[in-house]
Amino acid sequence: MSLVRFYLLLEMKILEENAGALTNFEVLDFLRAKGASKDPSRVLAKVAMSEYKVYDYLVKTPAGSQTRESVKEYFTAIKQHDLSEAEVLNVLNIRPASEVEIYHIIEDCEERFPDEEVTEIVEKVGNTLPAPPDKATPEEITKGDEETETQKHDEISQDQTEDGEQMDTS
Amino acid sequence: MFYLSKIEHKFALPPHLLARPIREAIQSELERLFLDKVIQKLGLCISVYDITSIEGGSIFPGAGAPTYQVVFNLIMFRPFPGEIISAKVMSLDADGVRLSLGFFEDIYIPTHHMPYPSYYISKNNTRKWTWEYGEETDEFNIEISNEVIRFQVLSVSYPTIPVEQAKESKPFAPMVVNGSLYHEGLGPVSWWQ
Repeated sequence: MSLVRFYLLLEMKILEENAGALTNFEVLDFLRAKGASKDPSRVLAKVAMSEYKVYDYLVKTPAGSQTRESVKEYFTAIKQHDLSEAEVLNVLNIRPASEVEIYHIIEDCEERFPDEEVTEIVEKVGNTLPAPPDKATPEEITKGDEETETQKHDEISQDQTEDGEQMDTS
Repeated sequence: MFYLSKIEHKFALPPHLLARPIREAIQSELERLFLDKVIQKLGLCISVYDITSIEGGSIFPGAGAPTYQVVFNLIMFRPFPGEIISAKVMSLDADGVRLSLGFFEDIYIPTHHMPYPSYYISKNNTRKWTWEYGEETDEFNIEISNEVIRFQVLSVSYPTIPVEQAKESKPFAPMVVNGSLYHEGLGPVSWWQ
């Protein structure tokens, strides 16, 4: 457990309180460039313990499977919609996979965006950003039977197009 | 969650670092000074992003180390109100839930920002918060586990250092994030799938 200590710095001047917002991905990218990684060689990198805690947290969020290209694509695609900077960031960091999740992130969503636009946004997120690290592996253990595979895909897409909160049926 | 902050700091570089290339030595000293520390209004310092300029290096009379004036950027953890963040439950009691991000553990969800209606139940060694949704009374629980909880940031406060602290009280937290689980979509991710 890390104790966050308070430090009184007398000769310190804050030149710019906000010199730019960073997405979760950018911070993760920065730590990776410093040498942070998941495998055992991580202890050799010049990364501090506290920095590693941030790395370990971020790597499990959607940022963990994002790439520079996918984030760039996302920003270009999302520009067409009237979202605030905070909402663009929230969507990128959380990577909602359904309309329901978008409603929770965007304020007054139903008033600002027609249903079709919300679906469009979900599609753009799904197309530009990779699935979060824990969902990247397929949940069903397919035994190579093509028929059951396509059947299961149909079931999944049916569940997703139905409105309202659905309990996980699998 | 993260912002860059540009700082200018004047400090003496400890002599044992002088054998190293100057950038490396200054980076090392800046990390020692700022990493994992809270700066009021800026948040928790995560990393030294880069060094913009290094000036000085003169040794003042009576000093044993050169003094440098350095301008650099720090990556600060500073959640904004309205941000939605994933965290894990660290502890819970009748006053609410405490969440943790691993690198930051002072996130509090007070009782009046729990999903409505919720109840705190403490019996038989289990402690949990239960959300009564419709007819369900034991379906939606918040307990200490590895489950991911999504909360919304309400505010970030920087309490002043207390002059004296009672022995039994919690260790002082220089930065506290107040959150809410009230709205739809917040709480354990499994509730909404």
